[in-house]
Amino acid sequence: MNSLKLAILIVLAVFLSACVPKQMYYWGNYSQSLYDAKKNPTEQSILTHQQSLENIIQESQKNNLRVPPGVYAELGYVYFRQNKKVLAIQNFNMERQLYPESALLMDRLVNAANLADKPKPSERVDSKTLTDKTNNQEK
Amino acid sequence: MNNSSVGKIKRCLFLGMAALLCFSLVACAPKMITKGEKYPLMYEEHPASILILPPMNESTAADAKDYYATTIQEPLSFWGYYVFPYEITTELLKMEGIYDAELMKDLPLQKFREYFGADSVLFTTIKVWNLSYMVIAANLTVSVDCELKSTKSNATLWQYNGTVVVDLSGGNAGGGIAGLIASAIVTAVNTAMADYVPHARRANLMALRSLPYGKYHHLYGKDQAQQFQKQVRR
Repeated sequence: MNSLKLAILIVLAVFLSACVPKQMYYWGNYSQSLYDAKKNPTEQSILTHQQSLENIIQESQKNNLRVPPGVYAELGYVYFRQNKKVLAIQNFNMERQLYPESALLMDRLVNAANLADKPKPSERVDSKTLTDKTNNQEK
Repeated sequence: MNNSSVGKIKRCLFLGMAALLCFSLVACAPKMITKGEKYPLMYEEHPASILILPPMNESTAADAKDYYATTIQEPLSFWGYYVFPYEITTELLKMEGIYDAELMKDLPLQKFREYFGADSVLFTTIKVWNLSYMVIAANLTVSVDCELKSTKSNATLWQYNGTVVVDLSGGNAGGGIAGLIASAIVTAVNTAMADYVPHARRANLMALRSLPYGKYHHLYGKDQAQQFQKQVRR
């Protein structure tokens, strides 16, 4: 009787595990931090949302998941507004590579970033170091 | 009357009741329809990407629009579509002078294909977003109409309404005047904490259940036979 129960349990477990598909995307804290940034747009809440975008990319890479649609693009746009053009363009290109559907819009954004006022040489150095910093943080 | 005729009557009565029960159950059962039957254009056009337009707001809550918009991008992506980043696309639309989705109803949808490269656009209309108070109870209602339209043909590809009604009175607090007062207090407390967003998310999931899957979903092109509850459009 006990062995029968065990067998049924095992069959059920195998069956159930087969039914659960692998999680498609990791969205982390996205909708909560976006909501907070909308409801109460302070420097802190906006920074928190940026961090949740960065966290989605890190966690997705760690777990071998495709980064959800729009996340690279949105992060690129955040950098764009902070005048970090190199990082902005990098992220727009990542989105384009991952999702060919976004090509037209990403090209438009890359163009906009390129056309925006070229940073002064001193700022360019800054943005370079910032890139390095972010890369280090990611590692 | 002998025993057998009593038995006959009993049996007849039983059969009649059973038949009645069957009928009433049939009448109550929600009408189901398959995705393939209801939305054939989805399977003809195979839209790969969706541009979410700013919601139209028919509710009395002015801020519903901004909050609702934060809830739809994520679930749509799980349905397998490329969903354009809403934070960027609304900014760009604003730069083009389009602040209100109401203004977009009249635009030829082809424009969204040319500008964004979108296969389809999602119109959402917030129908109800409110609390309705009764004497000792309160209901929170979120109701959203969703309509997906093709940028190729302007045709409606998919349409569904998600409505969630939540009873905030916190269940039955027992009888008597003490019970009434207790439940009035519970209602007041729950109302103060009422947050629409989780319920908007549930309304989205309810509506999306009928949406055929997109190209990044493992059931893409294989879900024509999936059933969902048919809705009567008002």
